Amino acid sequence: MSAPRPSRARVAGVLARAALGLYPPAWRARYGDEVRALLEDSGAGARAGASLAWHAVPAWACPPRHLYDRRGRMRASLATVGMAWALLAGLAAVFVQLAQAQGQVQAATLARHPAITWSYWAFDACLIFSVLAVAAGGAPLWLVMLRRARHRREVACLLVPAVVPAGYLVVSVAVFALFRGPVRPVVPWESRSVVDLANGGVGPRWFLALVILGLAAAAVSAAGPGQALRRLRPNGPVVVLAARAAVVAAVTMGLAGVASVAAAVGLYLWAPAYAGYHVAWPLAVYLPAVLLAASVAVVSAVRGIRAADPPAVA
Amino acid sequence: MRDRLDRWADPPLLVLASLAEGPKHGYAITQDIADTMVVSLSAGTLYAVISRLESRGLIEPLESDDRRRPYRLTAAGARELAEQSERMNQVASVAQQRLRVNYGWAGA
Repeated sequence: MSAPRPSRARVAGVLARAALGLYPPAWRARYGDEVRALLEDSGAGARAGASLAWHAVPAWACPPRHLYDRRGRMRASLATVGMAWALLAGLAAVFVQLAQAQGQVQAATLARHPAITWSYWAFDACLIFSVLAVAAGGAPLWLVMLRRARHRREVACLLVPAVVPAGYLVVSVAVFALFRGPVRPVVPWESRSVVDLANGGVGPRWFLALVILGLAAAAVSAAGPGQALRRLRPNGPVVVLAARAAVVAAVTMGLAGVASVAAAVGLYLWAPAYAGYHVAWPLAVYLPAVLLAASVAVVSAVRGIRAADPPAVA
Repeated sequence: MRDRLDRWADPPLLVLASLAEGPKHGYAITQDIADTMVVSLSAGTLYAVISRLESRGLIEPLESDDRRRPYRLTAAGARELAEQSERMNQVASVAQQRLRVNYGWAGA
């Protein structure tokens, strides 16, 4: 076995770190050092990096049983679902704000496009159901964690979902109080982006800043309980209940996202009197963001429930 | 697309066959398989196989101070390899017999 050349070893290290970063933490902890050693010995190349990257997919989808931490999987899934759900909720709020702008101009048009109306109904129903599922499944777990929290940092993590949205609300109100100008009337056939037309009077820049801040606040709000799950490691029926509720919440929020996308596409196609919806870039940003977050939420929720109710081994 | 007729070279079987010689670490396994079975296993494939075989209890890791942890075949792994080898032997002997009879193949 010849000693590897320094440059080759360096490349091997870089490739290994990059490709191994794609694997689940438990897999990395168990096999990471061995794979690095193998790459150093064999001389890592593009093929080795590509092969490692490719096999990371089944390592996530079907983790080997001896590395499978059922309770840890449930907690990790809950944290991921929480993050994706919060982002979807933020995107839903953006959709509501932008869709409201159509006002009376589209009222008659909408009546002639049942697909848009149905999408709104589906969006509202799914959103309400999803929020209820989060409350029903998340509240007991949150209370159990709050009781178990011993350190100030753990309590802070648990209070983040209340404090951060409240802070965001205060900032939003302040921005609207300070910078709100006259609301432009919606002019039919005016070909400007919906963000220009439906920003609530604060202008597109402040509106986009509030959107980005809102999505960041949603992510931080979800990260707090996620961090608490990692630190407090709760177990038992409340976690199973939360995992089951997470499936309902993720699926319904995903459906709400899909309904909003359907409505947005419908407005783009069939809202002839409101040219603001015919500017494509907001849709081009919104659509992939919703689909990505919904996919992550649903896949992670399913992984969590599979961990909660593992299939019987034959 | 080219038809795959080399399914006999399933990586798990190759790894089991390699470990039938004795405990080996990852690099030694790939070298052995390349030298004796003329199949090149990439790092991703090898460790995907190792993790599955370990999960099924067909191989087990040995203690090592080094990062190069060796693996050995378990009793269950040896049984599995024996069963698979027997099947391959049957297929090979039938194929060779028919080739001799119908195609005049004299053997390698």
